[in-house]
This record gives sequence, structure tokens and C-alpha cells, in this order.
Amino acid sequence: MFSQLVVNGLVTGSVYAIAAVGVSLVYGILRLVNFAYGDMMAFGALVAYGCNGPLHQSMVVAALAGMAATALLALALDVALWKPLRARRAGFMSLFLASIGLALVLRQALLLAAGPQPEAYRVDPYRVFVIGSVRLSEAQTIAVATAAAAIVVVALFLARTTAGRVLRAMADDRTLAAVAGIDVARATRLAWAISGLLAGLAGVLAGLVEYSFTPDFGFQLLLPVFAAVVLGGIGSAYGALAGGLALGLAEELSTWSGFAGGVDPVYKPVVAFVLLALALLLRPQGLFGRARVA
Amino acid sequence: MTALLEIQQVVKSFGGVRAVDGAAFEVAAGSITALIGPNGAGKSTLFNCVAGSLRPDAGRIVFAGRRIDRLPTHRIARAGLVRTFQSARALARMTVLDNLLLASIGHPGERLSGLLLRPRAARAHERALRERARELLDLVGLQAHADAYAGTLSGGQRKLLDLARVLMLEPTLVLLDEPMAGVSPRLRVELLDHILALRRERGITFLIIEHDLDFVMQAAEKIVVMNEGRVIAQGDPASVQGDQAVVDAYLGTAAVHEQPAPA
Amino acid sequence: MSTLASAGFWEFVGVVAGIYTILALGLQLQFGFAGLLNFGQVAFMAIGAYTMAILVVKEGWSTWLAAPLGVAAAAVGGLVLGLPTLRLRSDYFAIVTIAFSEIVRYVAMNEDALTGGSQGTIALGPVGQAAQYNGQWAQFQHRMQAWLGLPSADATMLVIVWLAALALLASAWAVLRTPWGRVLRSIREDEDAAASLGKNAFAYKLQALALGAALAGVAGLFYAWQFSYFSPDDFAPLLTFFAWMIVLLGGLGRVFAVPVGAVVFGFIFAGTRFLGFAPFSWFASDQRAYLRLIIIGLVILALVVLRPQGLLGKREEMVLE
Repeated sequence: MFSQLVVNGLVTGSVYAIAAVGVSLVYGILRLVNFAYGDMMAFGALVAYGCNGPLHQSMVVAALAGMAATALLALALDVALWKPLRARRAGFMSLFLASIGLALVLRQALLLAAGPQPEAYRVDPYRVFVIGSVRLSEAQTIAVATAAAAIVVVALFLARTTAGRVLRAMADDRTLAAVAGIDVARATRLAWAISGLLAGLAGVLAGLVEYSFTPDFGFQLLLPVFAAVVLGGIGSAYGALAGGLALGLAEELSTWSGFAGGVDPVYKPVVAFVLLALALLLRPQGLFGRARVA
Repeated sequence: MTALLEIQQVVKSFGGVRAVDGAAFEVAAGSITALIGPNGAGKSTLFNCVAGSLRPDAGRIVFAGRRIDRLPTHRIARAGLVRTFQSARALARMTVLDNLLLASIGHPGERLSGLLLRPRAARAHERALRERARELLDLVGLQAHADAYAGTLSGGQRKLLDLARVLMLEPTLVLLDEPMAGVSPRLRVELLDHILALRRERGITFLIIEHDLDFVMQAAEKIVVMNEGRVIAQGDPASVQGDQAVVDAYLGTAAVHEQPAPA
Repeated sequence: MSTLASAGFWEFVGVVAGIYTILALGLQLQFGFAGLLNFGQVAFMAIGAYTMAILVVKEGWSTWLAAPLGVAAAAVGGLVLGLPTLRLRSDYFAIVTIAFSEIVRYVAMNEDALTGGSQGTIALGPVGQAAQYNGQWAQFQHRMQAWLGLPSADATMLVIVWLAALALLASAWAVLRTPWGRVLRSIREDEDAAASLGKNAFAYKLQALALGAALAGVAGLFYAWQFSYFSPDDFAPLLTFFAWMIVLLGGLGRVFAVPVGAVVFGFIFAGTRFLGFAPFSWFASDQRAYLRLIIIGLVILALVVLRPQGLLGKREEMVLE
């Protein structure tokens, strides 16, 4: 039972982790808490569904298409919305509210285009892998393997490539980065592209893990993802990875009967919020974040 | 003269950097004391500790015989120790008059309970407050701007507003953070006259951070020099001017010193 | 199209706009005057409505005792939320308030014994019996209708809700003009400067949060009475966003901008039902519900980008930053 919960937690946690990195990258560079991120994930999931279902493409092709489409969407939105707001030197409140408006538009547009009925990818829900006492469905296996690969790729990108280092430097200190001769406009586009790719991937994986999903499922995912970002120290990409995994594990393990009888599974989402609140109160700079220099 | 403010071995660090590293000095009651030093010397951090915006990691700050280093800003202000900010924090989207009216301690109208239970006292207090605000506006020469949004004032006028607002509180000790920065030469003279007159007529004590050494030499009877978080010299202007440690500190960072201080 | 002409429909829209006015007034107090980014306003509405309904059905209280207690419970909710969180940075505070409103909704959805669970207030009473909490209110409404000589229950509700809204708007306007309101605005402008003038910023923010929450509680009561049934889904975060839009539409930092925003919002929201012309006529009626929310979202975006001071706001005094 316990090891099954750990595995389930890692599956959910890896989806959160990928999405959290996407949110965190954009926050680090633009100071934007992107409320539309959940709906960008749903967009990616639906594009992939379109390829996988009606167009009969393989899951891999479908996922790549979903990621690419979401990245394009993110770049287009940057030009159409975020750039003008930056030009006006809009502060945190404006950006946050704009992202709420955008979330509404995106979500309803998805509902309009795809209808309210749940969709599912063409994976066999009854095919199950058994490893010791742990059972994993095909979808879960795909999700956890892809997520693990993606996490490694993202971590390597951030640590080893020049572009990755630029993004981290900008998240640390924008003005300093600009002074150091970094092309801020290019780095911003890069951040949006990667954030979009990750949103698409996280959306597809979330769709796989949940088996069936509706076009408005992004919002339910958004709050745990925010919680993961905050838990990891807002703006820190590595922190977001760790925060996502920690949150997924905590949600699942909270239901373990060895833990004070276990929390009723219906309260799993509440566990995420309570952890978020606790983390903020105990360490306002995030669990893995550094204290800010005043 | 007795010490009104005692800074005792105050330490404050940020992420391993000791911005203030055991600074210690006293401010005598009724004096004008200047705090100088190159940028990054820890002056502003120390100010923030005294005013309660930051909590020191170690050491004590004693004001009028009472320890204040654990008190929040608003309690310190109520005790009579009031600060201004480097970039005069006029509340830009409130009128000049409202800015002044804010500066009042124990106004029953500022509490919901006071409004409900003592409406007459609240009104009386407000009336007296308005009168006083008008007087102070006259004093600093801003009477014509009373109903303008504070954001429309010039940098120098904001400093005057800031000073007038502090005076509304009838403080015993005023901390001024670079009062001369961004102020036109004409207003500088006016500001200096105000400060000297306030000390003379109302016995207000001043502790001033200032880069304008002419002003410091003219106004202050005691100068405290900080470098790298410590007090490296203190005394009357003449003795500090000849101090070798001071000369070294300034020469060593002369290039940095010329730059305006970051906010 | 016949509904467009019916007075009943517009009475209903007017009632809802009145309820939203009260809800959004709370937000105006919190954000427009105290600078608090509260994105969990709907939670306080839920607390007010549920407290009243539970006390009436389960404890057999009189509506006239249960209702003020509902409002008080919402205010206490504001205190409970604010005490630990008001010291957080504003972006964290915003996220925590959304999380808080979702926690409240989850609890309402899953604590069947207390709230009736996802079935809503119908399941508040014993099993198999549809519970009602608004008997006394309906009687009162009937008496008012007879006394005022109004044609319908909705018309009566329209009068009652707007009388309440106007009374609350006037009180808010009056209290915000006092020195208390002045301190609140100074904290919105610059908390450090306010503290250096001796103001306890935390205490003022807490008061603003609790008062705004109490107003949401009042909105919750009227919502419950108007619909005579509600469930946790009625208190989704979307409603908080509507309230934000109303405040933004009307203008920040102005009390009487709130009803203007609410009425304009009501027209946009209800009026978009009648978009019988192209391109809207290409869509089926259920799809037009999505279109309506798309329009709401676009209006929020347009406001943020083009007119951050709102319709009536003064640019010099309060803009969205």
C-alpha cells in the first residue's frame, strides 16, 4: 500500500514538477504569475487529443504536436498581450488580472471548440504493469517515464547550456542580466517557448494520468502547480522541480492509513493548499529558495 | 548632555554579508548628529534598524532610556522617533493636506471604535489637526499646494512635505535620510534653516545621513563616520575631517562614492 | 427573443447586479482602498450563506438571528485568513486567498453532514426530505410585496436588495471619508511610510479584510434567499473574478463606481444571451454560454490593457499597477 502510494505520488508529482518549472521560468523573468497556465496545459492536452483521436497519430507524435502548438500559443500571446503590457510597465496586479482574463478566454474557447464532454487518449486502461506490490497502468507508465526524461532534459538544459544559464541569471537579477549584455527580448521569447512546451507536455501527461479529461481541467491542476512553485521558492526552476515532486508525494501519502489513519482522499487537493499555506508561513522565501537580500 | 539614542554593538547581516557589523555610537539630546560614510557602509541599514523597518541580529538600540530594537516601526514612531525616507515617500496619490493629516498619534477618528463611540472627540481632534497642518504648510511654504496631489510636487517640495509631516508628530528625534539629495540649491538653504530653527526653538534632536559634506560641516556638531558596517571615527567636524581612517575610507572608495546612492 | 422584452428577466438581472454590488463593494474596500489582492472573496459569500442556512435548518434558529450570525461568521473568516497571511508578499497573498476559497468550497462539498455536500442545501435536513431555509424570508418578502404593491416577488427582491446595497454603499462612503479611511489609503500607497507615521498597517489591513468579508457575507445571504437553494458549485472562483471585473469596470478607489460596474457587468452578462446576430447566431445556445464568458474575459483584458483606472476612476488617484 505504502509503496503504491509513493509511486502514485511520483506520477502526479512529476506532472506538477514539469508544469511548475514552466510557471517558474516565466515568473522568474517577467514577474508574471500566469493564471492562464492551467488552460495552456489543457490546450496542449486537447491538441494532442485531436492528433491522437480523430487523426489517429501515435501518442508520441500527438504529444509533440501538443507541445509545439502550446509553445506557439505562448509566443503569440507574448506578442499580442504581454509585450504591450510590459511596454506600459504594468505591475504585478495588472499582469495577474490580465492572466485571469486570458484564462477565462482560453478555457471558454476550448470548451467552444471541443465541447464539454470528457476525452481520453487511445491507451488501454486495462493494461497494467505489476512490479512487486506496485501496479502501474500503461498511461501512468508512459507518463512517469516521459516526465522523468523531461525533468532530466530540463535540468541539464538549465545547468549546462548557455541559454539555460541566461534564463537562470535573469531570474536571479534582471537588471544585472541586462547590464551584463544579455538580449532580454530574446531570453523572454525563449522562456515563453520553453514554458509553452512544458505546459503542453504537462497537459498531455495530466490527461494520460487522469485517463479522461474535459477542456476545463486546467484550473484544477493550476492551484497545485502554483503550490509547487511557491513550495520550491517562486522563480527558482530547480526548486519548482523539487516542489512538484514533494507536493505529489505529499498529496498521495496523506491518504496513507499509517499516517494518523490517513486523510480522506477527497481532501487530497486541500492537502496541497494546506501545505502551501504552511510553507509560506514557516519559510516565506519558499522551502528551497534563498532569503532575499534587502 | 545626555544620550537620547544609544546604538550598542548593532549587527545586521543579509545572506552572510554583514551590512552593519557592531556599530556603536550615541546621539545627544538636542544635538544634530550626522552619519556619513561611503556607499555600502551600512548607514541606511542602520537607519532601518533604528526606525524598526529591520530587526538587528545582535546588539541593542536604546531610545530615551527604553530598548526599541524589538519594536515595530509604528510603535517606535509613536514613542517620538520618526524617520524620513531617502526618496521622500510622499504618498503621491493623496493630497498634500491629507499627507499631513495622516501624521497624528492617538487620533480617535482613526479607529472605527473611536468613530462610533466618540464622534465628537474625533471631530475636535480632526479640527485641531487641520489647523496645525495649515500652520506647518505655511511654515514650509507649501500652503498653495494643499489640495494638489503630492505626486505633482517637485523633489525638493516633497522633502519639505516630508519634513512638515514628520513635525506634525511632534517628535523628539528625527532621522533624516539624505535630506539634500535631489533638492535645488535654493531649497537646500531653506531646508537647512528649517532644521536649525527646529532644533533651536523646539529642541528636536536630528540624526542625519547626508552625502553633502558642506551641509554636514555647517549643521552638525557631531559626525559619525561608518565604513564596512563599523564606526571608524566620531567627534566634532574638525577632528573627524583630519582623521586618517576617514580619509582612507573615502579615498579607497572614491569612485563608488561619486555615484548616487541606490534606493 | 421574447425574454428580451420581459420585465421579469430584467428584474432578475437587476437583483443579481445588486447582489454583485454588495460582493464587489467588499472587494473595493479591500483592494481599492487597502491594496489587498484578495482573490478569495467568494469564500466569504459561501460562509455567510451556509452559516445562515445551517443555523436555520439544523438548529431551528430564526432567520433574523441566523442572518447576522452568517455575516459575523464571514467576518471571522476574514480574520482567520488574514491573521497568518497578511504579512506575506502580495503575490503570495493572492495565491493563498484563491487556495483558501477552494478549501472552503471543498469542505462544503465533502462535509455532507454539515453542509449537505455536493447536493447542496436540499440535503441539509434529514435524508429524503428537501430542506428549506427561507420560509421566514419568503413570508417577509410577501409582506413587503403587498405593502409596496409590487407585481412580483422578483420586483420586491429588486427593491430590497438595492435598498440594502445603497445603504451599505452610503455607509462605506461615509466611513472611508473619515480619518480611518485616510489611514487605509495611506497604507495602500506605501505601507512603510504609513508605519513610520505611527500607523499599525497590519491592524488596518485586517479590519479592511474582515469588513470586506462581512460584505461578501451579506451578498451570500441575499444570494441564498434569491435562489432558495444553493450548492458548493455556486461559489466557484469564477464569481470572485466577476467581482474583480466589476470593481475594475467601475473604477478603483471609488465607492459609487461599484454599482455602475455591477450594472454594466449585468448588462454584458445578461445581454449577451440575446446575441441573435452573426457571428453569434452561428453558435447553438449552449455554446453561447461559453461565448459570454469569453466576452467577459476579453473585457477584463481590455480594461487592464487600455483603461486601468476603470470607467469612473481618477488616474491620479488609483490605477492598477
